[in-house]
Amino acid sequence: MNAAKQVTLHLVPPDEEDSATHRIHRLMLQRETLRPLFRAAWDDLSHHFDESELEAWAGAVLTLAHVNAGPACLIAYWEASKNDAADRQEIAPLLVAGQMAANICRNAGAQAATAALQALPVATRVFGSGPALARWWRVVDLLARQAPESVAPAADNIAQILAPGTIDAFEDFVAAGLKFASGNKARRQAFFRLEEEFARHMIARDLGSVTFLETEIELKAFVTALWGKPPLLRSFAADNSQTPQRRTSIAGPLIRLPETFRGVQGDAARALFRAAAAHAQAHLVLGNGLFPVGTLKPLQIALVNLIEDARIETLAMRQLTGLRRLWAPYHVATPSGVVAAPTLMARLARALFDPAYVDDDSFVAKGRAMFTAALPRIDDPAISREIGMLLGNDLGQMRVQFNVKTYVVEPVYRDDGLGLWDFGENAPPSGEVIELPVDAVRMERQEAPDGDSNEPDGKGEALGRGRPVAPDERGIIIAKYPEWDRAHGIERPEWTTVREVAAHAGDPRLIEAALDHADALRSRIGRLVRGVRIGRTIRLNRQHEGHDIDIDAALDAGIALRIGQEPDPRVFRSSTSVHRDLAALLLIDVSESTRDRLASGATILDVERLAVAVLAEAMGRLGDPFGLLAFASDGREDVRMTTMKSFEEPYDRRCVARLAGLRSGLSTRLGTALRHAGKVIGNTTSGRKLVIVLTDGEPSDIDVSDPLDLVEDARRAALGLKNTGVDAYGVVLGQAGGEAAWRIFGRGNTMMVHRIEDLPGRLSELYFRLARR
Amino acid sequence: MNLDAYRIADEPYYQPLGHEIETFQAAYAERLPVMLKGPTGCGKTRFVEHMAWRLGKPLITVAAHEDMTAADLAGRYLLEPQGTVWHDGPLTLAVRHGAICYLDEIVEARQDTTVVIHPLTDARRILPLEKHNEIVPAHGDFQLTISYNPGYQSAVKDLKESTKQRFVAIDFSYPPPTTEAAIIVRESGTDEDLAGILVAIAQRSRNLQGHGLDEGASTRMLIHAGRMVRAGLPLDVAVQSSIVLPITDNPDIRAALSDAIQACLP
Ligand SMILES: Nc1ncnc2c1ncn2[C@@H]1O[C@H](COP(=O)(O)OP(=O)(O)OP(=O)(O)O)[C@@H](O)[C@H]1O
Ligand SMILES: [Mg+2]
Repeated sequence: MNAAKQVTLHLVPPDEEDSATHRIHRLMLQRETLRPLFRAAWDDLSHHFDESELEAWAGAVLTLAHVNAGPACLIAYWEASKNDAADRQEIAPLLVAGQMAANICRNAGAQAATAALQALPVATRVFGSGPALARWWRVVDLLARQAPESVAPAADNIAQILAPGTIDAFEDFVAAGLKFASGNKARRQAFFRLEEEFARHMIARDLGSVTFLETEIELKAFVTALWGKPPLLRSFAADNSQTPQRRTSIAGPLIRLPETFRGVQGDAARALFRAAAAHAQAHLVLGNGLFPVGTLKPLQIALVNLIEDARIETLAMRQLTGLRRLWAPYHVATPSGVVAAPTLMARLARALFDPAYVDDDSFVAKGRAMFTAALPRIDDPAISREIGMLLGNDLGQMRVQFNVKTYVVEPVYRDDGLGLWDFGENAPPSGEVIELPVDAVRMERQEAPDGDSNEPDGKGEALGRGRPVAPDERGIIIAKYPEWDRAHGIERPEWTTVREVAAHAGDPRLIEAALDHADALRSRIGRLVRGVRIGRTIRLNRQHEGHDIDIDAALDAGIALRIGQEPDPRVFRSSTSVHRDLAALLLIDVSESTRDRLASGATILDVERLAVAVLAEAMGRLGDPFGLLAFASDGREDVRMTTMKSFEEPYDRRCVARLAGLRSGLSTRLGTALRHAGKVIGNTTSGRKLVIVLTDGEPSDIDVSDPLDLVEDARRAALGLKNTGVDAYGVVLGQAGGEAAWRIFGRGNTMMVHRIEDLPGRLSELYFRLARR
Repeated sequence: MNLDAYRIADEPYYQPLGHEIETFQAAYAERLPVMLKGPTGCGKTRFVEHMAWRLGKPLITVAAHEDMTAADLAGRYLLEPQGTVWHDGPLTLAVRHGAICYLDEIVEARQDTTVVIHPLTDARRILPLEKHNEIVPAHGDFQLTISYNPGYQSAVKDLKESTKQRFVAIDFSYPPPTTEAAIIVRESGTDEDLAGILVAIAQRSRNLQGHGLDEGASTRMLIHAGRMVRAGLPLDVAVQSSIVLPITDNPDIRAALSDAIQACLP
């Protein structure tokens, strides 16, 4: 029988003479030494709690006194009470503590009870005051009954023992300790004193933890398979173990998962990631828009969330029955324990999820009945708001306390619910609005939409939100090139200056998400890759040797034999594959005009980026050496080149991040860019060299008044490339710029892309056409 | 020559999904060539068999492959004791004696092979046999049907525009869930509940098309899974061996698909 069950809140008004309050004060009158300490605790508590709550607390002190806990234990209880009162408004956890300490005292003695109370602040720090703390007490109580001698050693080392940070880990640890010594008290004590290697091993933190990154690909595919919509998954950094595990959170279309789930390991961690991601995506796929916050109280918001969670999961499980197996293991609330808001809510959550769960509590029963009655309208999100508000009122009137600051949604796989609410446009948080959500929303806004903290540009910018390059970012000079002077028909030596500007790392996921949308195109390109990679095979007929007989040659030979002629011995067929030996450099125009928006809302640069990403992915898989270079200019002294991928490095996420970090700005000095591209690709050893220029118009720059000058210069630069064995192709976006491109690259080497949206497909097709030549 | 060996005696079961039967009948009435498009295992082959039976015509099927030459289709001289003898290829057989010729997976053949069908598939309806010095006019019953999986389409392997534009096309895709379940019941002998689950599982894999899988599970795969269950295998094992393992080698996608499949199981 579980000790926590006996504890309930009794909130009796203390007006009778024999109230606990009177009795404890009378008792303390006789204890000179204890009195001041008692008074200090009492005064402290009376700032936070009303009479009935103090009466309950006094009852707990009396209980302790009655089990002969001794002065040290009483003092420990008062200390723990003071500690707690400072940052909490609930009396219930203190009553539980008194009750449990008394139990422990009965089973394991006063010293053990004292040690447990002294360990309480650490446990509270790790678990908060919710259901996890109740479970902590239960475990300590169990230890007191089964291994009384080990309570004090365990309590003395509690900070280390709780290092893994989860109640599950603590339960496992104690269970292992009880089993470990099989009745040998000395060994058991050694275990709990952490003198045993095995004990230390058990609490070594996060041994087999699984990080978000390790499971991201699988997780994304899993959720996509469920509803056919690729989720936008992100992670947030793990917080320290002093607070309860922060929950998954939905922000707009994003699902943010913790970097790791503390204390959950291996397959259990993967399963929890799946449960959390599936739950959050169910909101996004099956939910319908945001709830306005209005004047709802925190408790009501929490309950609307709870009902909405149940509604969404009910809908999800109607489609996919087996999801129940995914979520069920986390519903562990039991119809026992302290009657406090978080525990009641965890119980209600379980009751709505698990039809077989039995719970007689009237609040839980009422919630269940209302939800069942609303089942015919399960598709309507309004039921969540209706039921949640009513239940929120009920719970409020039950005078069970609800602490916004420490509240976390249970079970652990569920999201914090913030993503379901519309907090209004920058609405300053009124006193009424739940604090935690507002903080978190503020934080989301700062972070949004994303950024890897380890990237230099952690803020991350939305695709296409370019900003002009600041003058102090001019970069280092890497080359000078001549330029053609059309008027005088001469080449001006060292006329332009090329600077390497370091790439900004954006968020690679923005590009990955765009790629997800382009899945049809991507799989088409993927097949092109496969077709090319296998290598083109050429069949060779009439060979001296081969893997097969060339029937027609054999017949001719047979006929020749018959008519007495010398047969041709080449009667075999064989095949051989042609190898490509090709290096390609993509030169991307990021000048100001690429900031223009298309009807779809995307900028030209966005489309360029996607096109380059699709092609780069394909080239990466092909294994063709390639480079990605962006260019823009601000006069002849300042032609900026940014390397997204050099020929030497592999195409990986860092390259994607740099691609995502591209910004529009400045002008297009194409000739210089081409010369530089020629120099870069000239260093490769491939037999064929290809420069593909992506541009949205004709060359121009601030210090050149006649664009024809730059067209002519670029034409000569392209010719120069050709003379060194480099083929240059122009891919021109939009309607304009055709004339100029034809002049520069020649008609055969120019591809016009009138509908800019077609670029991703057209660019890759061009490459594959060229690659097969 | 007698094509009885190519006649289909019993009705091949085919569950219509749209107007494909009428379309084919109309095309046949006009002797227009037909192109069947669709992912693998969605009933294209079964459909032609059914139509050949329905129209009472012999069906000659040729599976195209990369090494197939024009002679493999049209015919060639073979050496026999008494000298060289001309042998009609399967296409010539169908043209001469009046059969439906089904060229399966036509894109696999090289483009210089596919052009032999050009004179057959326009108003001329003739097959010139250069080597044999003969022009074979098509028999009145002859008709050409090809299949084509757009999933495999690529610039590398694609039909020439001049080939494509000769055909009337019928698009095949995965049947609606209840229909697909009915097909599974009929073809594998499983019960409806199980068939429903298999269709739900297929949907999960089709959701991954383009996100890790090239193509989702075909109706054929589902039938296989159903048959494995009938042969006594537990459902999850059957699904693993007939769907998950064949469809991908990527461990992440495999794990994800297996877990998504778990969500479909009761
Ligand atoms: N509409 C349908 N009616 C009856 N059976 C069907 C239907 N669709 C699919 N099937 C079943 O699916 C199996 C596979 O179909 P079929 O062999 O015709 O595929 P296919 O489209 O020709 O595939 P592939 O392109 O791989 O050759 C058939 O054997 C049949 O059992
Ligand atoms: Mg087939």
